[in-house]
Amino acid sequence: MIGTQPAGIPGSGPALRGRDLAKVTSRSLYLQALFSAQRQQGLGFAFALIPVIRRLYSGAEEQGKALTRHLGFFGTHPVLAGYVLGVVARLEERRARGITIEETQIEDVKRALASPLAAFGDPLFWVTLRPLAGLVGILGMGILPLANPWGPDLRVLVCPLLALLTYNAVALRFRIAGVPRGYALADDPGKLLHSLKLATLTRVLERSSAFGFGVLVVLTLSVLARSADPASQGLAHIAFVLAPFVLGFLAAAFGLKRWPGRGVEIALAAALVALALSTRV
Amino acid sequence: MLGQPLVGACLAGALLNPGPQWELWALRIPLGVGVLLQLLLTDPSLPAAQRPRDVATAGVIGTSVALVCMERLTPVVSVSTGGMLWVLVGTIAGLIASMAGGWLETPLRARNQVAAARADELAREGRLRAFEALYWGGVFRIFLRGATWSAAGTVAGIAAASLILPQIASIITGPRTGLVFAVLLGTAFASGFHTHVRAPRHGPRWAAMGALAVILVLLHMGGPTP
Repeated sequence: MIGTQPAGIPGSGPALRGRDLAKVTSRSLYLQALFSAQRQQGLGFAFALIPVIRRLYSGAEEQGKALTRHLGFFGTHPVLAGYVLGVVARLEERRARGITIEETQIEDVKRALASPLAAFGDPLFWVTLRPLAGLVGILGMGILPLANPWGPDLRVLVCPLLALLTYNAVALRFRIAGVPRGYALADDPGKLLHSLKLATLTRVLERSSAFGFGVLVVLTLSVLARSADPASQGLAHIAFVLAPFVLGFLAAAFGLKRWPGRGVEIALAAALVALALSTRV
Repeated sequence: MLGQPLVGACLAGALLNPGPQWELWALRIPLGVGVLLQLLLTDPSLPAAQRPRDVATAGVIGTSVALVCMERLTPVVSVSTGGMLWVLVGTIAGLIASMAGGWLETPLRARNQVAAARADELAREGRLRAFEALYWGGVFRIFLRGATWSAAGTVAGIAAASLILPQIASIITGPRTGLVFAVLLGTAFASGFHTHVRAPRHGPRWAAMGALAVILVLLHMGGPTP
């Protein structure tokens, strides 16, 4: 257990309610609103913790001191920040009830949890889940049939909905469970981290993402090949029509390997070069 | 996730639908722009290593530019490839908007730095309500910046397209549009390959399994395979 109870002083005082933790959860959605290079999510962390501070401390001075404690640097993955908020809420509650917990102890726990959650969270949510959710939306366009070829295309609503559902099916679970679970497992941060199974989830989603991209490529090539050769002129004709697609793919694949993160510039350059070449042919 | 190009593009398209006269393309153009931008703007590197790009507004601006230009410029720039030209225009507008929007992030971060100093003062004085108001102000500023940039970027994009496209109308032909579109589609798929297959471990193996599974399904259904 973090914090030792002094002999003869029973822990008594205000206790946190479920409603307070729910308020912290809802405020954690705005964690990055005042993001800055120096403190990262520090201000957002303090903002999310205000319902806890209001419940545990009375008087402007006490509340101000508690708020100041949490205004320093804090950086983790925003979806997983709830776990740290839950743990810190529990520690603040104990402190308010007279149990000896130093400010440095709370800071140490924050940092000890924030770093691994960021290390697991960034690859899971930013690198894997977000692209996968977009891919599911794109696949929706390839798989879903048109109800009426000449009427309104409802895929314009279904595809973004698929993307949103895919992302939130995973992320919302962590967002909602974060604060209460962190509060419940505040004494054993190691067990808390282990119970999230973030590495396993990342592996599964990475493979799903690659699998989905394979599906998308074949579906797209199938449609392109069909539209490229409506009169069944043969494979040579299809190859000729698909050549710009393949050239664009190869050029961009090489470019991205050489200049990672420059996808936008490479795409604009490719479009410009293609237009320039086409005017000379 | 609402800030993903596919979501922004489709929602903007559904809201901006120019009416029954354009029904065939009005909802397919947002899908095309959204799909291309989603593939092109997904960066598999960690956020700290990424270049500043405003992915959230790119889809909205791209689709809005494409639909408004389609409505206004079709009499001037008319090609046989239907909406493909406008998908191209929207995608290029979205790509440029994502770069310009990224540059606009810098002053916002600087402003947050000033807000942090004020937050320290308020906390020392124990003024929790004022601190909250300061924070909600930050939330509102993000929303305001996105909304302002979406509108300003769209107006700028339409103005640029209205100036440039009539000038180059003579070189915009159906086959040329198709060629540039095919190259951009290839680029988008290379970007997708980089994100979904090259970055994760065992990516190529799982992508091949996905491809094989669809080929089997298409063969089973008797449909054409590539």
